[in-house]
Amino acid sequence: MPLRFKIPIFDVKNLNFIVNGQKILSNISLEIFHSEYIAIIGPNGGGKTTLVRMLLGLEKPTNGSVKIFGKKIKNFKDWNKIGFVPQRAAQVDQNFPATALDIVKMGRISKRKLFSSESEEDIQAVNDAMIKMDILDLKEKMVGTLSGGQRQRVMIARALASQPEILILDEPNTGVDTVSQNRFYALLSKLNKEDKITIVFITHDIGVIADDIGRLFTINQKATICNNPKEALSCEDMSALYGISAHLVHNHKHEH
Amino acid sequence: MIEIFQYEFMQRAFLAGILIAILASVSGTFIVLKRYSMISETLAHSALVGVAVALVLEYNPLWVAVVVSVLSAWLIEYLRSEFSLYSDAILAILLSGSLAIAVIIVSLGGEFNNSLFSYLFGSILSVSNENIMTIFSFGIVALALLLVFAKEFYFIAYDEEVAQISGIKVKLLNYLLVSIVAIIIALSIRVIGTLLIGALMVIPTVAALQFRVGFLHTSLLSMVFAISSVILGMTFSFYFSLPSGATIVLCVLSIFIFSLIFNKK
Repeated sequence: MPLRFKIPIFDVKNLNFIVNGQKILSNISLEIFHSEYIAIIGPNGGGKTTLVRMLLGLEKPTNGSVKIFGKKIKNFKDWNKIGFVPQRAAQVDQNFPATALDIVKMGRISKRKLFSSESEEDIQAVNDAMIKMDILDLKEKMVGTLSGGQRQRVMIARALASQPEILILDEPNTGVDTVSQNRFYALLSKLNKEDKITIVFITHDIGVIADDIGRLFTINQKATICNNPKEALSCEDMSALYGISAHLVHNHKHEH
Repeated sequence: MIEIFQYEFMQRAFLAGILIAILASVSGTFIVLKRYSMISETLAHSALVGVAVALVLEYNPLWVAVVVSVLSAWLIEYLRSEFSLYSDAILAILLSGSLAIAVIIVSLGGEFNNSLFSYLFGSILSVSNENIMTIFSFGIVALALLLVFAKEFYFIAYDEEVAQISGIKVKLLNYLLVSIVAIIIALSIRVIGTLLIGALMVIPTVAALQFRVGFLHTSLLSMVFAISSVILGMTFSFYFSLPSGATIVLCVLSIFIFSLIFNKK
C-alpha cells in the first residue's frame, strides 16, 4: 500500500466509547492515509456507524483521540475537505422540494462567502460533480421521483461538489438494486484511481465488498485491520466477526 | 374594491397584512421542511404572555410580545438541542404553559379581557400607524436575515447532520431561525391573531409542496398563496363584516384544498 503522506487524514488512537455502562467501541486505533480505498465492515450494532460519527465529530468518545489532517477534531475547521454520504442517502423524503441540482448545489453552501452569489467556480464544481456521477440529465428532476440508485449518485455528487479529499460513505447501498450497485462500485473506484480521492466505505453486507479495496477494517466493538483483504478475509474471520457460519462469495461484484 | 381603500385603517391593514404574509410564508417554508410546524403555535402563545404583561404594565404590546416570544424560542431550541426530549412534546408543554401564564396575568390585571381578545383573533381595525412602523422595522430585518441565510436554512432543513459535517454552523443558525420566526409571529398577532397566525405560516407552504416543484418555486408559490389569502380575506372581511384573521385563514385553507385536488395523483 503506497502511503504518500506522513500525516494521516484520520488518526484515531485508543478510542473507547461507553454508553450506559455498555462498551460500544473498545480501544480502537487506526490511521487512514491519502488516496487509500478502505472498507469498514462489521455486523449491525458492531459500532461502525458510531465510529464514523466520532470521525466526523458528531459524537464524543469516552476517551481516546481523533485527529483530522493532523489537527484535533475541535480545532479542525476545513470540513470542506470531507465529503460524507449518510446511510439514509437513498431514502430521501419524497416530498422535499428539491431538484437533483438543488441537492448538488448544497455541497457548495459552506464554501460561499456571505452576501455573495454563486461564483463561476461554484457552477463549475457542481457541473463537474454531476458529470462524474453521470446525472447531468437528471438535473431538473425532483429527487422524490428518482430511483434509489439515481438518488445515491445525486447524494455523492453533493459530497463531491465541495471538492473533498476524502469521501466517507455509510452503508449507501440500502434500497439500491444490484445493477446500480455495480455501477456505483465502478464510480467509486474511478474516483479513487483517477481523482485520488480517499474512499472510506462502510457496509454490514460482506457480500458486496468491491474488488478494488486496499485495506479492510472489521469493527465489532474492537477493530481488526487487514492490509490485504483478499487473502485475510477467510471464512473463519467472517464467522468470528459475525458470530455465524459465513460463506464468502468470490467475485461477488457480479454474483450479488 | 376602490371603496375599501378610502379608509385609512384599511390601507394600514393591507400594508401590514401583505408584509406579514411575505414574512410568514418565507419563514414558514423552512419550519415546515424542518417538520417544526407546531413551533408557530407555541410561539404565538408565548407572544400572548408578552401582550398580557404589556397590558398590565402599560408598555407597547408588540415590543414586549417580540421579546417574550424570542426568549421562548431560545428556550425551545435549547431544550431541543441539549436534552433528549421529544421536540413536539416540548412545544406542547410550552404552549399550554404560556397560555396558562397569560390567562393568570390577565385575570390579575382585571379589565383587559377585551384587549386580549383582539390579540387572540386579530383585529384590523386596531392596527395603528405605530404598529405599522414596528412591523416594518422588525419585518425588514427579519426578511433580510431570512434571505441572506436562505441557502443554509434550506440545507439544514434537508439534513441537519450532513449540513453540520459540511461546515455549516447549524446550532447558531437554528437559534437564528427560531428567533426570526418568533419576531414574525409576535408582529403578526395584531393583524391575524395568536390563534390563527400558525395557519398563515404553515398552510401556504404545505399547499405549495403539493405542486412538487423545486425549492425556489415552492417558496414563491407559498408567498403568492399567503399574499392572495391576506388580500382576499381582508376584502371579504371588510364587505361582509367578518373577523379578519379567521377570514384570511379560511381563504388560505381553500387554496390548500384546491392544491390538494389539483395535484391529486
